[in-house]
Amino acid sequence: MSTAVKQALVLAVGGLLTAGVILRLARRRLLTTRYALGWLGVGLLITVAAALLPFVGRLGRLANMTPTAVLLTMSSVILLAISVQLSISVSLLQERLRTTAESHALLARRVEELEQRVG
Amino acid sequence: MLVLVPAFNERDCIAAVVADVLGAGYECLVVDDGSVDDTAALAEAAGAAVVRLPINLGVGGALRAGFRYAVGHGHDCVVQVDADGQHLAEHIADLLAALTAQRLDMVVGSRFANGGDHPMSWVRRRCIGALSWAIARTGATRLTDPTSGFRAIREPLLGAFAHDFPHHYLGDTFEAVLVATRRGYRVGEIPVTMRPRQGGRPSADLPASFSAMVRVCTVWLTGTTFDLPHRPD
Repeated sequence: MSTAVKQALVLAVGGLLTAGVILRLARRRLLTTRYALGWLGVGLLITVAAALLPFVGRLGRLANMTPTAVLLTMSSVILLAISVQLSISVSLLQERLRTTAESHALLARRVEELEQRVG
Repeated sequence: MLVLVPAFNERDCIAAVVADVLGAGYECLVVDDGSVDDTAALAEAAGAAVVRLPINLGVGGALRAGFRYAVGHGHDCVVQVDADGQHLAEHIADLLAALTAQRLDMVVGSRFANGGDHPMSWVRRRCIGALSWAIARTGATRLTDPTSGFRAIREPLLGAFAHDFPHHYLGDTFEAVLVATRRGYRVGEIPVTMRPRQGGRPSADLPASFSAMVRVCTVWLTGTTFDLPHRPD
């Protein structure tokens, strides 16, 4: 078996494994569909990349990169994109949590005031 | 008019601060910023209205909750006072007088205006100087003490702050002033004297101050901060 085929097999197995784990997590409701879809996409992309490894190799030669380097670069970009997306989500959640906490406190105060008025 | 006191673990001073404010004849709201001590209970016992945040949001979070409370209760003006006893209730009247006399939206009580001085470390004094310079660059106003937490704010700025207000360290003071002046709100200052803090612990240690300065520089250079609607005429 040539090195390229071995590499492709390892990649394909890794991709399918990722997709499998993500599906399982989504089924157990540990991941919402929104995030599960993104990660499923990554898993499938890896599998597809494995199947297209010869093509990836040719793409790499254009930029003077080995096929491994091409794949690593692609995965770094994808991971970067996902982290940025998560940071955006966290920032949004922080702001929402803050507003909710404030509203909660103001409502609690309002209830107190009403209770005092009712006696 | 409402006096707003954001408080986080200030059990040593809060009762005295509330008593001061009520004694001067003002309505007092303490926003307890998720304290783990009995700040809220002490403030209530001293006679203040208390809003208890369920989690610690930082000074800015407590302030926005207070602004929302003020707007919801029909106040058109708030005076913000620190819970550590640094600010003297007798200056509240001066802040309010300056609001109307100078037709301002916000008045900051400054420790350094008119050549005033206040004991603090050399580094800290220089940092405040740099922030003051940054605000002067907007061309609208010269504030000698932009990190002061002793301020009077009135409509329409109060409503704008109730809607959007930064919650990280220095965001509530420097950035709020910077954005307000950029958006056409009139901000001024009056000289006040402040006592050394009467108890409790400062809210920012050295690493926090350092990261805040890095943040402030980024904000100033890139404009990546909260925003306000332009002042309605």
